[in-house]
Amino acid sequence: MNHELFARPTRLSSNARMSDASRREVRAGLEPCLARLWRYGLVLSRASDVAEDLVQATCARAIERADQFVSGARLDRWLFAILRSIWLSEIRARRVREGGGFVDAEDALSTDGAHLIETNILAAEVLKAVGRLPEAHRETVFLVYGEGYSYAEAAKALEIPIDTVMSRLAAARVALAKLK
Amino acid sequence: MADEDAEIVALIDNELDEDASARLLTRLATDEALRKRYEALREARAPIAGAFDALIEKAPLSRLRAALPPESAPRAALGPFARIAFRDIAAGVIGFLLGVGAAAWIASVAPRGEQEDWRAAVVQYTNLYTNETFSPLHPDAALQALELSAVGARVGARLTPETVALPGLRFTVAFMLSFAGSPLALIAYVDAQGAPVLLCVIDNHAPDAGMGSERRGELSLANWSRGGRGYLVIGRISEERAVELAGMLKERI
Repeated sequence: MNHELFARPTRLSSNARMSDASRREVRAGLEPCLARLWRYGLVLSRASDVAEDLVQATCARAIERADQFVSGARLDRWLFAILRSIWLSEIRARRVREGGGFVDAEDALSTDGAHLIETNILAAEVLKAVGRLPEAHRETVFLVYGEGYSYAEAAKALEIPIDTVMSRLAAARVALAKLK
Repeated sequence: MADEDAEIVALIDNELDEDASARLLTRLATDEALRKRYEALREARAPIAGAFDALIEKAPLSRLRAALPPESAPRAALGPFARIAFRDIAAGVIGFLLGVGAAAWIASVAPRGEQEDWRAAVVQYTNLYTNETFSPLHPDAALQALELSAVGARVGARLTPETVALPGLRFTVAFMLSFAGSPLALIAYVDAQGAPVLLCVIDNHAPDAGMGSERRGELSLANWSRGGRGYLVIGRISEERAVELAGMLKERI
């Protein structure tokens, strides 16, 4: 959990009007982020239906906690943090309990992401390779190369040292370099 | 080796600090094996970003939007039945909606100037439709009637197989998009060659306006507004044909 992102700004918390304004700001900002949230959910879960559930839960949670959003901050990053939190604490855990969570590398070959873009062969191959990476590596690769996080931003979002970000990215690039 | 790879990748990503960069660049100038490794790792980045870009276009935007919490109190025309009915239908035509997701995405990221004109957004994605977009779709009549009823409820228009029937055109599917927060219903037809013709209805509180028509590139548009709703017929047809079709629809819906 990234506590800084969820920190409640005291100047807003006691003011109902500001709270309404936050809710409106958050609600208005949800729609432009939907596709990217779904993509993040897909990278984490490797299943498009789970990704949809994650987006829906994220949007609902964001509205509930709109007063925790610091006006003017990057809403997309805040939503990403919420989605990740829901994935880690709720959906991922539930899928593991139900035996549908961690697919093996072989199963990952048929993940929804690669399947969805099968007409783009190179992209599908890359996604399959990304899908075979461990979840932590997959997420790091996505945030840096898919979403443009700097190493420092990725380290902060994932609560890991920058060295770990570097080693995960290198391992992913080595795996992908072998595609050729 | 792993540490070395991490440094090389960080150098490629412009994330390595100055001292480490200088050291690595010096080695790269003299170490051919290291240079080859650098090249291999460098080339791996572009396809990764490209693959993620390709993925975003597959987001099921229509369903994601339909599941958004309401912005405020629901409007009278948008009862719970309409919302549920549309979700059920959306699940039934999942493959198709994936196809139009890219179009919806284009509409959502159109430059602000064009956002002022919903017709411009419709023109943008109509240009992407081909004779193969809708012609393979042959949903059964009951599903078509349900679709029309659900999207009609969303935009407050009386849409039935009878009211939307047009001579020389086969109605295929109806689905929801959204433009600048206003629900936008799209009813798709094809002619005998499979060429798409669309009827769009937007609930945007527009003032009443009589029939107008225009050409935009290869497309003809005929449009009118009534009762706070904008109507548009669009396709790669003559302007006269667009006005003729729009006139028939205006009488009935």
